[in-house]
Amino acid sequence: MAESAEIAEEAVPSSSPSSPPEPTRSTRPAKSGKPSAPPPPSGFGALVKKRWRAWLRAVHRDVGYIAVGFTVIYALSGIAMNHIEDWDPNFRSSEVQFQITPIPDDASDEDAVARIAAAAGISGKPSDVFRAGDEVRLEYPNGSKVTAIGAAVTVQKRDSRFFFRVANWLHATRGKAAWKYISDAYAVLLLYLAISGLFMIKGKLGLRWRGTILIGVGLGAPLGYIVLSGGPEAQKDPAKVAEGKRGEDGIRLLPPDPADGGKSAPSADDAPQRPRVLKQPPPSEGGERKP
Amino acid sequence: MTDRPDLDRYPELKKGWDRREFLKSAAVGTAFMAVGGSLVRIAADDLTKAARAEKRPDGRVRLPPGQRVIENLRAMGGEEGDGDVKTFRLKVHGLVKTPFEVDYAGLLKLPQVERAADVHCVTGWTMLGGMWKGVQVKMLAEKAGIKAEARHVIFEAAHGFTANVPLKEAFADNALITYRLNGKPFQLQHGAPVRGLVPDLYFWKSAKWITGVRFVRDDRPGFWEVRGYHNHADPWKEERYG
Repeated sequence: MAESAEIAEEAVPSSSPSSPPEPTRSTRPAKSGKPSAPPPPSGFGALVKKRWRAWLRAVHRDVGYIAVGFTVIYALSGIAMNHIEDWDPNFRSSEVQFQITPIPDDASDEDAVARIAAAAGISGKPSDVFRAGDEVRLEYPNGSKVTAIGAAVTVQKRDSRFFFRVANWLHATRGKAAWKYISDAYAVLLLYLAISGLFMIKGKLGLRWRGTILIGVGLGAPLGYIVLSGGPEAQKDPAKVAEGKRGEDGIRLLPPDPADGGKSAPSADDAPQRPRVLKQPPPSEGGERKP
Repeated sequence: MTDRPDLDRYPELKKGWDRREFLKSAAVGTAFMAVGGSLVRIAADDLTKAARAEKRPDGRVRLPPGQRVIENLRAMGGEEGDGDVKTFRLKVHGLVKTPFEVDYAGLLKLPQVERAADVHCVTGWTMLGGMWKGVQVKMLAEKAGIKAEARHVIFEAAHGFTANVPLKEAFADNALITYRLNGKPFQLQHGAPVRGLVPDLYFWKSAKWITGVRFVRDDRPGFWEVRGYHNHADPWKEERYG
C-alpha cells in the first residue's frame, strides 16, 4: 500500500497539513477577492518539472501495452530456443520401425507399395514412390514418409508446433528485412521501459533503496557470470589465447603451399559458387564480415 | 487494490496475501526446483559417466570435455532443404580434375561404407556409437581427381550454408557423405536426404541438407565460422568459439 500511496502522491498534488496546499482547482481563490497564496511558477518549464514523473509513467504504461505481444513472442520463443538441445521447438516428430519380408528387386512399384502399405497398416495411395539401391521410399499426402530398406521399414512423420514455429521464425530475424526494423523498434521500446522504470517511483521504493538493490541484482547476475566463467576469452582455444591474437577474427590461416611458392590464381572451378561462401578478407578488414 | 479480499473477514487468506511471505515462498520454491532438478539430472546421467571413463583408440577420452551423452540426435534448427531424394544432387567440384554431379541413386551406387562414430554438438550433447552409412569424402576426392594444391573442403548445403573442414579431418576414415543412421533414413530436421559427417569436429561441420563438396586451396570460413564459432572446432580442445 505504501507504493500506491507514493504513486498517488506523485499523481495528485500533496495536501498534507504540514505544507501549504498547492493550488488546485478546489483551492484557487474565489472570485470574491479573499486573500490567497502566491501563484505558483508558471510556464512550460514549471509544468514539466511538476508533471514529468506522471508523464513518464503514462508513457511507460502505454509502451508496456504495445510491448505485450512482442514480449510474449520473444520470451516464449527465447525459452524454447534456449533449450533446443532438449526438444525440437518447431516440430513434433515420430518414427516407428518394423520388419517385413524383404522386397525383391524385381518386384514392381505397385507390388512394393502394396507390401509395405499392408505391413505398415497404411491405407490410401502414396503421393510419391522412389526406388534406389535397396531403398523403397513412399510419401503420403498426410506427410508420412515410409522407407523400406531390406527388411526394415521406417515410418516417419512430423507436425508443426504452430505457435512456436511461427514465434521462432519471427525471433530469427535473418532474411526478414522489414521485420528486422520492427524488432529494432521493439528493442528501443524495451530500452525505454527499462530506463523509465528507474524513475517512475521516488523515495524508498525507488532509487533510494529498493530500486537500487534490485538494479544491483539485475546487473550482478550477468557480471557475476562473466567473472565466474572467465568470459568469452575463456571459451577460446587455450593455445591460441596463450600465443596472442593472430588476427582480429581469430582465424588461423594455413601457410601457403610451398610447392608453388605462394598464392596462385584460383581456377574457375575454385571461384565462389554461393553467396555465403566468403573469401578470406584482407587483414585490414579484421573480423567485420557480412554474410 | 480493489481486488484484495477483506482480510479481516477472511483471516485464513492473510498469510497468502502477505507480499513478503509470497516472495520468500517463491524464492524457496525456485531454489528447491533448481537443486532438485540438477540432482535428478546428475544422478540419471550414467551414460555420461561411463563415456568419460572410456578411451578411444587414439588415446583420447571418448567424451570430450564439457559434453554430456544423449541417446538420440537433437534437432538443432537451420534452414531446411526440401529433403526430396528425387531432386537431390551432390556436386563434387573445386580443385579437381573431373568435377561431377551425382543424384541419389548414383550416390547409392558408389562404394559404400558403414562406420560407427560418436558426434559432438557444440551446445554440449554427444551421441555415441551411431552406425552411419554413406560414401567417404576421400573416395569422392579420388574419383574427381583432387589437385595437389587443395587444402580444405567446403561442404555446401541448402540455402547457401557452408562449413569449412581441413583435408586432414575431411579425409578421415569415418568422414562421410551419409544418408543413413542406424539403418534408418534421416528425418528432415537431421539433414535428409543426405548430410555430411565429420565426427571428430563439432557437429555443425557435418553440414545437413548437403548439396556440394568443394575442394579449395585457401581456407574459407563458413556460415557459423563467420558468426563467432571456431574455425577448426576440435571438441577435445573445446574449440567452440572463435
